[in-house]
Amino acid sequence: MNVVDISFLSLAAGYGLLIFPLSIILWYRIPIVSDTLLAMLRMTVQLLFVGLYLQVVFSLNNFWLNGAWLLVMIGVADTSITRGCGLRLSRFAGPLFLSLLVGTAVPLFFFVVPILGRPHLLDAQYAIPIGGMILGNCLRADIIGVSNFYRSIRKSQKAFLQALAQGARLVEATRPFLRDACHAALAPTVASMATIGLVSLPGMMTGVILAGADPMTAIKYQIAIMIAIFSGTAITITMAIWLTMKSSFTTYGVLDGRIFKS
Amino acid sequence: MKRETAIKIDNLTVKFDGRTVIERFSLSLAFGDKVTLTGRSGSGKSTILRSILGFKEPDGGSIAIEGEPVTSTSIWGLRTRLAYVAQEPDLGTGQVRQVLERPFAYHANARLWGNLSRAPELFHRFMLPAEMMDKDIVALSGGERQRVAIVSAILLQRPIFLLDEASSALDKTARQAVADFFRSQDGLTVLSVAHDPEGFSFSDNIIELPGGFDGVRQ
Repeated sequence: MNVVDISFLSLAAGYGLLIFPLSIILWYRIPIVSDTLLAMLRMTVQLLFVGLYLQVVFSLNNFWLNGAWLLVMIGVADTSITRGCGLRLSRFAGPLFLSLLVGTAVPLFFFVVPILGRPHLLDAQYAIPIGGMILGNCLRADIIGVSNFYRSIRKSQKAFLQALAQGARLVEATRPFLRDACHAALAPTVASMATIGLVSLPGMMTGVILAGADPMTAIKYQIAIMIAIFSGTAITITMAIWLTMKSSFTTYGVLDGRIFKS
Repeated sequence: MKRETAIKIDNLTVKFDGRTVIERFSLSLAFGDKVTLTGRSGSGKSTILRSILGFKEPDGGSIAIEGEPVTSTSIWGLRTRLAYVAQEPDLGTGQVRQVLERPFAYHANARLWGNLSRAPELFHRFMLPAEMMDKDIVALSGGERQRVAIVSAILLQRPIFLLDEASSALDKTARQAVADFFRSQDGLTVLSVAHDPEGFSFSDNIIELPGGFDGVRQ
Protein backbone atom coordinates (compact mmCIF):
# COMPACT_ATOMS: atom_id res chain seq x y z
CA MET A 1 0.00 0.00 0.00
CA ASN A 2 1.31 3.45 -0.91
CA VAL A 3 -0.48 5.34 1.86
CA VAL A 4 1.78 6.86 4.53
CA ASP A 5 0.49 5.79 7.92
CA ILE A 6 0.02 8.34 10.73
CA SER A 7 1.42 7.25 14.06
CA PHE A 8 -0.74 7.83 17.14
CA LEU A 9 1.93 10.20 18.46
CA SER A 10 1.79 12.26 15.25
CA LEU A 11 -2.00 12.24 15.35
CA ALA A 12 -1.89 13.51 18.92
CA ALA A 13 0.34 16.33 17.72
CA GLY A 14 -2.29 17.05 15.07
CA TYR A 15 -4.69 17.98 17.85
CA GLY A 16 -2.35 20.93 18.46
CA LEU A 17 -3.93 22.55 15.40
CA LEU A 18 -7.08 22.95 17.47
CA ILE A 19 -5.40 25.82 19.26
CA PHE A 20 -6.53 28.13 16.44
CA PRO A 21 -10.29 27.44 16.44
CA LEU A 22 -10.38 27.16 20.23
CA SER A 23 -8.53 30.46 20.62
CA ILE A 24 -10.98 32.18 18.27
CA ILE A 25 -13.95 30.66 20.11
CA LEU A 26 -12.60 31.74 23.51
CA TRP A 27 -11.45 35.17 22.38
CA TYR A 28 -14.81 36.09 20.88
CA ARG A 29 -16.70 34.14 23.53
CA ILE A 30 -18.57 32.16 20.88
CA PRO A 31 -20.91 29.95 22.90
CA ILE A 32 -19.84 26.60 21.43
CA VAL A 33 -16.87 25.67 23.64
CA SER A 34 -18.50 22.71 25.34
CA ASP A 35 -20.18 21.59 22.10
CA THR A 36 -16.84 21.72 20.30
CA LEU A 37 -14.96 19.77 22.96
CA LEU A 38 -17.73 17.17 23.19
CA ALA A 39 -17.88 16.86 19.39
CA MET A 40 -14.10 16.39 19.22
CA LEU A 41 -14.24 13.73 21.91
CA ARG A 42 -17.14 11.93 20.25
CA MET A 43 -15.44 12.06 16.84
CA THR A 44 -12.26 10.58 18.25
CA VAL A 45 -13.92 7.82 20.25
CA GLN A 46 -16.42 6.92 17.52
CA LEU A 47 -13.82 6.78 14.77
CA LEU A 48 -11.35 4.81 16.88
CA PHE A 49 -14.08 2.34 17.74
CA VAL A 50 -15.19 2.06 14.12
CA GLY A 51 -11.55 1.78 13.00
CA LEU A 52 -10.91 -1.10 15.39
CA TYR A 53 -14.12 -2.83 14.37
CA LEU A 54 -13.45 -2.34 10.67
CA GLN A 55 -9.97 -3.79 11.05
CA VAL A 56 -11.58 -7.00 12.27
CA VAL A 57 -14.22 -6.84 9.52
CA PHE A 58 -11.60 -6.24 6.82
CA SER A 59 -9.27 -8.96 8.07
CA LEU A 60 -12.06 -11.55 8.23
CA ASN A 61 -13.76 -10.26 5.05
CA ASN A 62 -16.73 -12.49 5.73
CA PHE A 63 -19.84 -12.14 3.53
CA TRP A 64 -22.26 -12.32 6.46
CA LEU A 65 -20.24 -10.03 8.73
CA ASN A 66 -19.90 -7.40 5.99
CA GLY A 67 -23.60 -7.66 5.24
CA ALA A 68 -24.43 -7.31 8.95
CA TRP A 69 -22.25 -4.19 9.15
CA LEU A 70 -24.15 -2.61 6.25
CA LEU A 71 -27.47 -3.50 7.90
CA VAL A 72 -26.33 -1.88 11.16
CA MET A 73 -25.38 1.28 9.23
CA ILE A 74 -28.80 1.28 7.54
CA GLY A 75 -30.50 0.80 10.93
CA VAL A 76 -28.64 3.80 12.38
CA ALA A 77 -29.52 5.88 9.31
CA ASP A 78 -33.16 4.79 9.64
CA THR A 79 -33.35 6.11 13.21
CA SER A 80 -31.64 9.36 12.21
CA ILE A 81 -34.21 10.00 9.46
CA THR A 82 -37.26 9.61 11.68
CA ARG A 83 -35.63 11.84 14.30
CA GLY A 84 -34.61 14.41 11.68
CA CYS A 85 -38.09 14.49 10.13
CA GLY A 86 -39.94 14.85 13.44
CA LEU A 87 -41.99 11.77 12.55
CA ARG A 88 -43.07 8.85 14.69
CA LEU A 89 -40.48 6.09 14.51
CA SER A 90 -42.92 3.24 15.04
CA ARG A 91 -44.79 3.96 11.79
CA PHE A 92 -41.85 4.85 9.60
CA ALA A 93 -38.98 2.64 10.74
CA GLY A 94 -39.89 -0.41 8.63
CA PRO A 95 -40.67 1.36 5.33
CA LEU A 96 -37.64 3.65 5.64
CA PHE A 97 -35.34 0.72 6.41
CA LEU A 98 -36.52 -1.06 3.27
CA SER A 99 -36.15 2.06 1.12
CA LEU A 100 -32.62 2.66 2.43
CA LEU A 101 -31.72 -0.99 1.89
CA VAL A 102 -32.88 -0.98 -1.75
CA GLY A 103 -31.52 2.55 -2.40
CA THR A 104 -28.09 1.43 -1.17
CA ALA A 105 -28.00 -2.16 -2.43
CA VAL A 106 -28.99 -1.51 -6.08
CA PRO A 107 -26.31 1.12 -6.89
CA LEU A 108 -23.77 -0.76 -4.75
CA PHE A 109 -24.35 -3.86 -6.84
CA PHE A 110 -23.88 -1.90 -10.08
CA PHE A 111 -20.74 -0.25 -8.73
CA VAL A 112 -19.06 -3.40 -7.40
CA VAL A 113 -20.08 -6.03 -9.94
CA PRO A 114 -20.48 -4.55 -13.47
CA ILE A 115 -18.32 -1.42 -13.02
CA LEU A 116 -15.46 -2.66 -10.84
CA GLY A 117 -15.84 -6.24 -12.03
CA ARG A 118 -15.43 -7.67 -8.52
CA PRO A 119 -16.72 -11.22 -8.15
CA HIS A 120 -18.10 -10.68 -4.63
CA LEU A 121 -20.72 -8.00 -3.96
CA LEU A 122 -19.91 -7.75 -0.27
CA ASP A 123 -16.11 -7.59 -0.53
CA ALA A 124 -15.26 -5.43 2.55
CA GLN A 125 -12.74 -3.21 0.72
CA TYR A 126 -15.44 -1.97 -1.66
CA ALA A 127 -18.82 -2.71 -0.14
CA ILE A 128 -18.26 -0.93 3.17
CA PRO A 129 -16.80 2.42 2.02
CA ILE A 130 -18.89 2.65 -1.17
CA GLY A 131 -22.04 1.42 0.58
CA GLY A 132 -21.41 3.97 3.33
CA MET A 133 -21.08 6.83 0.85
CA ILE A 134 -24.28 5.88 -0.96
CA LEU A 135 -26.13 5.34 2.31
CA GLY A 136 -24.98 8.68 3.75
CA ASN A 137 -26.45 10.48 0.76
CA CYS A 138 -29.63 8.39 0.86
CA LEU A 139 -30.00 9.39 4.50
CA ARG A 140 -29.75 13.10 3.67
CA ALA A 141 -32.15 12.74 0.73
CA ASP A 142 -34.72 10.89 2.85
CA ILE A 143 -34.61 13.47 5.63
CA ILE A 144 -35.18 16.30 3.12
CA GLY A 145 -37.67 14.46 0.92
CA VAL A 146 -39.87 12.66 3.45
CA SER A 147 -40.03 15.71 5.69
CA ASN A 148 -40.83 17.98 2.72
CA PHE A 149 -43.56 15.63 1.47
CA TYR A 150 -45.57 15.32 4.68
CA ARG A 151 -45.06 18.88 5.88
CA SER A 152 -46.14 20.28 2.49
CA ILE A 153 -49.34 18.24 2.53
CA ARG A 154 -50.07 19.42 6.07
CA LYS A 155 -49.36 23.01 5.07
CA SER A 156 -51.45 22.79 1.89
CA GLN A 157 -54.17 20.66 3.43
CA LYS A 158 -56.97 22.63 1.76
CA ALA A 159 -55.54 22.23 -1.74
CA PHE A 160 -54.91 18.54 -1.06
CA LEU A 161 -58.49 17.94 0.15
CA GLN A 162 -59.82 19.94 -2.80
CA ALA A 163 -58.04 17.52 -5.14
CA LEU A 164 -59.63 14.56 -3.33
CA ALA A 165 -63.04 16.26 -3.53
CA GLN A 166 -62.51 16.69 -7.27
CA GLY A 167 -62.21 12.92 -7.61
CA ALA A 168 -58.44 12.43 -7.39
CA ARG A 169 -57.18 9.10 -6.14
CA LEU A 170 -54.61 9.28 -3.36
CA VAL A 171 -51.78 8.72 -5.81
CA GLU A 172 -53.07 11.59 -7.97
CA ALA A 173 -53.68 14.01 -5.10
CA THR A 174 -50.20 13.40 -3.67
CA ARG A 175 -48.36 13.60 -7.01
CA PRO A 176 -47.54 17.34 -6.91
CA PHE A 177 -46.22 16.94 -3.37
CA LEU A 178 -44.19 13.87 -4.37
CA ARG A 179 -42.73 15.82 -7.29
CA ASP A 180 -41.70 18.73 -5.03
CA ALA A 181 -40.28 16.40 -2.38
CA CYS A 182 -38.19 14.48 -4.93
CA HIS A 183 -36.99 17.77 -6.41
CA ALA A 184 -35.91 19.03 -2.98
CA ALA A 185 -34.20 15.72 -2.16
CA LEU A 186 -32.35 15.38 -5.47
CA ALA A 187 -31.40 19.03 -5.98
CA PRO A 188 -28.30 18.96 -3.68
CA THR A 189 -26.85 15.96 -5.57
CA VAL A 190 -27.61 17.57 -8.94
CA ALA A 191 -25.93 20.82 -7.80
CA SER A 192 -22.98 18.89 -6.46
CA MET A 193 -22.58 16.99 -9.78
CA ALA A 194 -22.66 20.27 -11.69
CA THR A 195 -19.82 21.85 -9.71
CA ILE A 196 -17.78 18.84 -8.68
CA GLY A 197 -14.03 19.21 -9.12
CA LEU A 198 -14.21 22.97 -9.65
CA VAL A 199 -14.11 23.96 -6.00
CA SER A 200 -12.31 21.08 -4.34
CA LEU A 201 -11.38 17.49 -5.01
CA PRO A 202 -14.27 15.31 -3.89
CA GLY A 203 -13.83 12.81 -1.05
CA MET A 204 -13.66 9.60 -2.97
CA MET A 205 -11.26 10.99 -5.55
CA THR A 206 -9.01 12.26 -2.78
CA GLY A 207 -9.06 8.85 -1.11
CA VAL A 208 -8.17 7.02 -4.31
CA ILE A 209 -5.30 9.45 -5.02
CA LEU A 210 -4.01 9.10 -1.46
CA ALA A 211 -4.12 5.34 -1.91
CA GLY A 212 -1.62 5.80 -4.74
CA ALA A 213 -3.79 5.60 -7.85
CA ASP A 214 -3.27 7.99 -10.76
CA PRO A 215 -5.70 10.94 -11.05
CA MET A 216 -7.51 9.50 -14.09
CA THR A 217 -8.39 6.33 -12.15
CA ALA A 218 -9.53 8.53 -9.26
CA ILE A 219 -11.77 10.53 -11.59
CA LYS A 220 -13.38 7.39 -12.98
CA TYR A 221 -14.12 6.25 -9.43
CA GLN A 222 -15.57 9.65 -8.64
CA ILE A 223 -17.84 9.67 -11.70
CA ALA A 224 -19.05 6.16 -10.88
CA ILE A 225 -19.78 7.05 -7.24
CA MET A 226 -21.66 10.22 -8.22
CA ILE A 227 -23.90 8.20 -10.56
CA ALA A 228 -24.38 5.58 -7.83
CA ILE A 229 -25.26 8.25 -5.26
CA PHE A 230 -27.72 9.96 -7.60
CA SER A 231 -29.40 6.66 -8.47
CA GLY A 232 -29.50 5.61 -4.82
CA THR A 233 -31.06 8.87 -3.66
CA ALA A 234 -33.69 8.75 -6.42
CA ILE A 235 -34.60 5.15 -5.55
CA THR A 236 -34.67 5.66 -1.80
CA ILE A 237 -36.72 8.85 -1.72
CA THR A 238 -39.36 7.54 -4.11
CA MET A 239 -39.61 4.25 -2.24
CA ALA A 240 -39.62 5.96 1.15
CA ILE A 241 -42.61 8.09 0.20
CA TRP A 242 -44.50 5.26 -1.49
CA LEU A 243 -43.96 2.85 1.39
CA THR A 244 -44.78 5.32 4.18
CA MET A 245 -47.93 6.61 2.47
CA LYS A 246 -50.01 3.58 3.35
CA SER A 247 -49.73 4.18 7.08
CA SER A 248 -49.77 7.99 6.89
CA PHE A 249 -53.22 8.55 5.39
CA THR A 250 -56.59 7.39 6.64
CA THR A 251 -58.51 5.00 4.45
CA TYR A 252 -60.51 8.06 3.34
CA GLY A 253 -57.29 9.65 2.01
CA VAL A 254 -56.86 12.27 4.73
CA LEU A 255 -53.36 12.82 6.16
CA ASP A 256 -53.16 11.31 9.64
CA GLY A 257 -51.86 14.08 11.91
CA ARG A 258 -50.59 11.49 14.39
CA ILE A 259 -47.56 10.79 12.18
CA PHE A 260 -46.00 14.03 13.41
CA LYS A 261 -44.30 14.14 16.77
CA SER A 262 -45.58 17.65 17.41
CA MET B 1 -89.78 15.00 -10.66
CA LYS B 2 -87.74 14.04 -7.62
CA ARG B 3 -86.36 10.51 -7.56
CA GLU B 4 -84.55 8.64 -4.80
CA THR B 5 -82.62 10.30 -1.98
CA ALA B 6 -79.51 12.19 -3.06
CA ILE B 7 -78.09 12.64 0.46
CA LYS B 8 -79.30 10.90 3.58
CA ILE B 9 -77.73 11.73 6.92
CA ASP B 10 -78.92 9.57 9.77
CA ASN B 11 -78.16 10.43 13.41
CA LEU B 12 -74.75 11.86 12.57
CA THR B 13 -72.51 12.50 15.58
CA VAL B 14 -69.11 14.15 15.18
CA LYS B 15 -66.61 14.96 17.91
CA PHE B 16 -63.36 16.91 17.91
CA ASP B 17 -60.92 16.02 20.68
CA GLY B 18 -63.76 14.54 22.70
CA ARG B 19 -65.98 17.62 22.25
CA THR B 20 -69.28 16.94 20.50
CA VAL B 21 -69.83 19.31 17.59
CA ILE B 22 -72.70 17.50 15.88
CA GLU B 23 -75.01 15.20 17.79
CA ARG B 24 -77.62 12.94 16.22
CA PHE B 25 -78.15 15.14 13.19
CA SER B 26 -80.43 13.80 10.48
CA LEU B 27 -81.23 15.22 7.09
CA SER B 28 -82.57 13.93 3.82
CA LEU B 29 -82.25 15.59 0.42
CA ALA B 30 -84.09 14.27 -2.61
CA PHE B 31 -82.62 14.83 -6.07
CA GLY B 32 -83.05 18.44 -7.05
CA ASP B 33 -83.47 19.65 -3.45
CA LYS B 34 -81.65 22.82 -2.49
CA VAL B 35 -81.05 23.18 1.23
CA THR B 36 -79.01 25.70 3.19
CA LEU B 37 -77.58 25.05 6.64
CA THR B 38 -77.08 28.09 8.75
CA GLY B 39 -76.07 28.76 12.33
CA ARG B 40 -73.42 30.31 14.51
CA SER B 41 -69.70 29.65 14.11
CA GLY B 42 -68.80 26.30 15.58
CA SER B 43 -72.27 24.89 15.16
CA GLY B 44 -70.82 22.27 12.85
CA LYS B 45 -72.19 23.40 9.47
CA SER B 46 -68.94 22.87 7.61
CA THR B 47 -68.27 19.66 9.54
CA ILE B 48 -71.41 18.14 8.03
CA LEU B 49 -70.11 18.85 4.51
CA ARG B 50 -66.67 17.50 5.45
CA SER B 51 -68.26 14.32 6.80
CA ILE B 52 -70.19 13.83 3.57
CA LEU B 53 -66.88 14.11 1.68
CA GLY B 54 -65.19 11.63 4.04
CA PHE B 55 -62.77 14.24 5.39
CA LYS B 56 -64.08 13.80 8.91
CA GLU B 57 -65.12 10.33 9.97
CA PRO B 58 -68.35 10.30 12.00
CA ASP B 59 -68.30 9.16 15.61
CA GLY B 60 -71.85 7.90 15.20
CA GLY B 61 -74.63 7.60 12.67
CA SER B 62 -74.34 7.17 8.94
CA ILE B 63 -74.32 9.04 5.65
CA ALA B 64 -75.51 7.72 2.31
CA ILE B 65 -75.15 9.33 -1.10
CA GLU B 66 -77.57 8.21 -3.81
CA GLY B 67 -78.45 5.31 -1.54
CA GLU B 68 -74.86 4.12 -1.10
CA PRO B 69 -73.41 4.35 2.43
CA VAL B 70 -70.25 6.43 2.76
CA THR B 71 -67.41 4.08 3.73
CA SER B 72 -63.67 4.16 3.26
CA THR B 73 -64.13 2.01 0.16
CA SER B 74 -67.16 3.68 -1.41
CA ILE B 75 -66.05 7.28 -0.80
CA TRP B 76 -63.56 7.23 -3.69
CA GLY B 77 -66.36 6.58 -6.16
CA LEU B 78 -68.91 8.73 -4.34
CA ARG B 79 -66.67 11.81 -4.52
CA THR B 80 -67.17 11.71 -8.27
CA ARG B 81 -70.87 12.38 -7.61
CA LEU B 82 -70.06 15.44 -5.50
CA ALA B 83 -68.83 18.93 -6.26
CA TYR B 84 -67.33 20.86 -3.35
CA VAL B 85 -66.65 24.58 -3.12
CA ALA B 86 -64.83 25.70 0.01
CA GLN B 87 -65.20 29.07 1.69
CA GLU B 88 -61.65 30.12 0.91
CA PRO B 89 -60.87 27.72 -1.89
CA ASP B 90 -57.26 26.68 -2.31
CA LEU B 91 -57.06 25.49 -5.89
CA GLY B 92 -53.29 24.99 -5.89
CA THR B 93 -50.89 26.99 -7.99
CA GLY B 94 -50.57 28.07 -11.62
CA GLN B 95 -52.63 29.98 -14.14
CA VAL B 96 -56.43 29.90 -13.88
CA ARG B 97 -56.51 27.83 -17.08
CA GLN B 98 -54.22 25.22 -15.49
CA VAL B 99 -56.30 25.20 -12.33
CA LEU B 100 -59.43 24.47 -14.37
CA GLU B 101 -57.69 21.77 -16.41
CA ARG B 102 -56.05 19.99 -13.44
CA PRO B 103 -59.08 17.94 -12.26
CA PHE B 104 -59.53 16.54 -15.76
CA ALA B 105 -56.11 14.92 -15.51
CA TYR B 106 -57.52 12.67 -12.78
CA HIS B 107 -58.57 9.28 -14.02
CA ALA B 108 -62.12 9.70 -12.71
CA ASN B 109 -62.68 12.88 -14.76
CA ALA B 110 -60.74 12.08 -17.93
CA ARG B 111 -63.91 11.44 -19.95
CA LEU B 112 -65.21 14.91 -19.05
CA TRP B 113 -62.30 16.80 -20.65
CA GLY B 114 -64.63 18.26 -23.29
CA ASN B 115 -66.52 20.17 -20.57
CA LEU B 116 -63.65 22.68 -20.49
CA SER B 117 -65.15 24.24 -23.61
CA ARG B 118 -67.95 25.56 -21.35
CA ALA B 119 -65.50 27.63 -19.31
CA PRO B 120 -65.80 30.88 -21.36
CA GLU B 121 -69.60 30.81 -21.14
CA LEU B 122 -69.47 30.25 -17.36
CA PHE B 123 -66.86 32.99 -16.96
CA HIS B 124 -69.20 35.36 -18.73
CA ARG B 125 -72.15 34.22 -16.62
CA PHE B 126 -70.27 34.84 -13.37
CA MET B 127 -68.82 38.14 -14.58
CA LEU B 128 -65.24 36.98 -14.83
CA PRO B 129 -63.24 38.50 -17.73
CA ALA B 130 -62.00 36.02 -20.32
CA GLU B 131 -58.42 37.31 -19.93
CA MET B 132 -58.43 35.99 -16.38
CA MET B 133 -57.75 32.52 -17.80
CA ASP B 134 -54.10 33.46 -18.19
CA LYS B 135 -53.73 35.06 -14.78
CA ASP B 136 -51.99 33.40 -11.86
CA ILE B 137 -54.61 32.06 -9.43
CA VAL B 138 -52.83 33.61 -6.43
CA ALA B 139 -53.16 37.07 -8.03
CA LEU B 140 -56.98 36.84 -7.91
CA SER B 141 -59.13 38.44 -5.24
CA GLY B 142 -61.09 36.27 -2.80
CA GLY B 143 -64.32 36.81 -4.72
CA GLU B 144 -62.71 35.99 -8.07
CA ARG B 145 -61.17 32.83 -6.62
CA GLN B 146 -64.55 31.75 -5.27
CA ARG B 147 -66.16 32.19 -8.68
CA VAL B 148 -63.32 30.26 -10.37
CA ALA B 149 -63.87 27.48 -7.82
CA ILE B 150 -67.59 27.45 -8.64
CA VAL B 151 -66.83 27.31 -12.38
CA SER B 152 -64.37 24.47 -11.75
CA ALA B 153 -67.02 22.57 -9.78
CA ILE B 154 -69.67 23.10 -12.50
CA LEU B 155 -67.30 21.88 -15.23
CA LEU B 156 -66.98 18.56 -13.38
CA GLN B 157 -70.68 17.98 -14.06
CA ARG B 158 -71.57 16.49 -10.67
CA PRO B 159 -75.20 15.93 -9.67
CA ILE B 160 -74.70 17.02 -6.02
CA PHE B 161 -73.13 20.31 -4.93
CA LEU B 162 -71.72 21.03 -1.49
CA LEU B 163 -71.18 24.76 -1.08
CA ASP B 164 -69.36 25.93 2.05
CA GLU B 165 -69.89 29.68 2.34
CA ALA B 166 -69.20 29.64 -1.38
CA SER B 167 -70.44 33.19 -1.98
CA SER B 168 -69.12 34.81 1.21
CA ALA B 169 -66.57 36.95 -0.64
CA LEU B 170 -68.87 37.94 -3.51
CA ASP B 171 -70.50 41.31 -4.01
CA LYS B 172 -74.28 41.50 -4.35
CA THR B 173 -74.32 41.26 -8.17
CA ALA B 174 -71.97 38.29 -8.32
CA ARG B 175 -73.86 36.60 -5.51
CA GLN B 176 -77.07 37.05 -7.44
CA ALA B 177 -75.47 35.56 -10.57
CA VAL B 178 -74.46 32.49 -8.59
CA ALA B 179 -77.91 32.19 -7.01
CA ASP B 180 -79.57 32.56 -10.46
CA PHE B 181 -77.40 29.80 -11.84
CA PHE B 182 -78.30 27.28 -9.15
CA ARG B 183 -81.97 28.27 -9.26
CA SER B 184 -81.99 27.53 -12.98
CA GLN B 185 -80.59 24.01 -12.47
CA ASP B 186 -83.64 21.97 -11.49
CA GLY B 187 -81.82 18.66 -11.50
CA LEU B 188 -78.94 19.74 -9.26
CA THR B 189 -79.00 18.86 -5.60
CA VAL B 190 -77.36 21.58 -3.51
CA LEU B 191 -76.49 21.44 0.16
CA SER B 192 -75.01 24.78 1.11
CA VAL B 193 -73.67 26.32 4.27
CA ALA B 194 -74.02 30.04 4.94
CA HIS B 195 -73.84 32.54 7.74
CA ASP B 196 -76.08 34.78 5.71
CA PRO B 197 -78.83 32.73 4.04
CA GLU B 198 -79.84 35.71 1.88
CA GLY B 199 -77.10 34.76 -0.53
CA PHE B 200 -78.81 31.46 -1.10
CA SER B 201 -82.19 32.63 -2.22
CA PHE B 202 -82.33 29.60 -4.48
CA SER B 203 -82.73 27.26 -1.49
CA ASP B 204 -86.04 25.47 -0.90
CA ASN B 205 -85.30 25.08 2.75
CA ILE B 206 -83.08 26.77 5.32
CA ILE B 207 -82.10 24.80 8.41
CA GLU B 208 -80.62 26.50 11.41
CA LEU B 209 -78.21 24.46 13.48
CA PRO B 210 -78.50 25.11 17.18
CA GLY B 211 -74.83 24.70 17.97
CA GLY B 212 -73.73 21.12 17.94
CA PHE B 213 -76.36 19.60 20.17
CA ASP B 214 -79.48 17.66 19.23
CA GLY B 215 -79.44 18.44 15.53
CA VAL B 216 -82.44 19.66 13.63
CA ARG B 217 -84.41 17.38 11.39
CA GLN B 218 -85.82 18.50 8.13
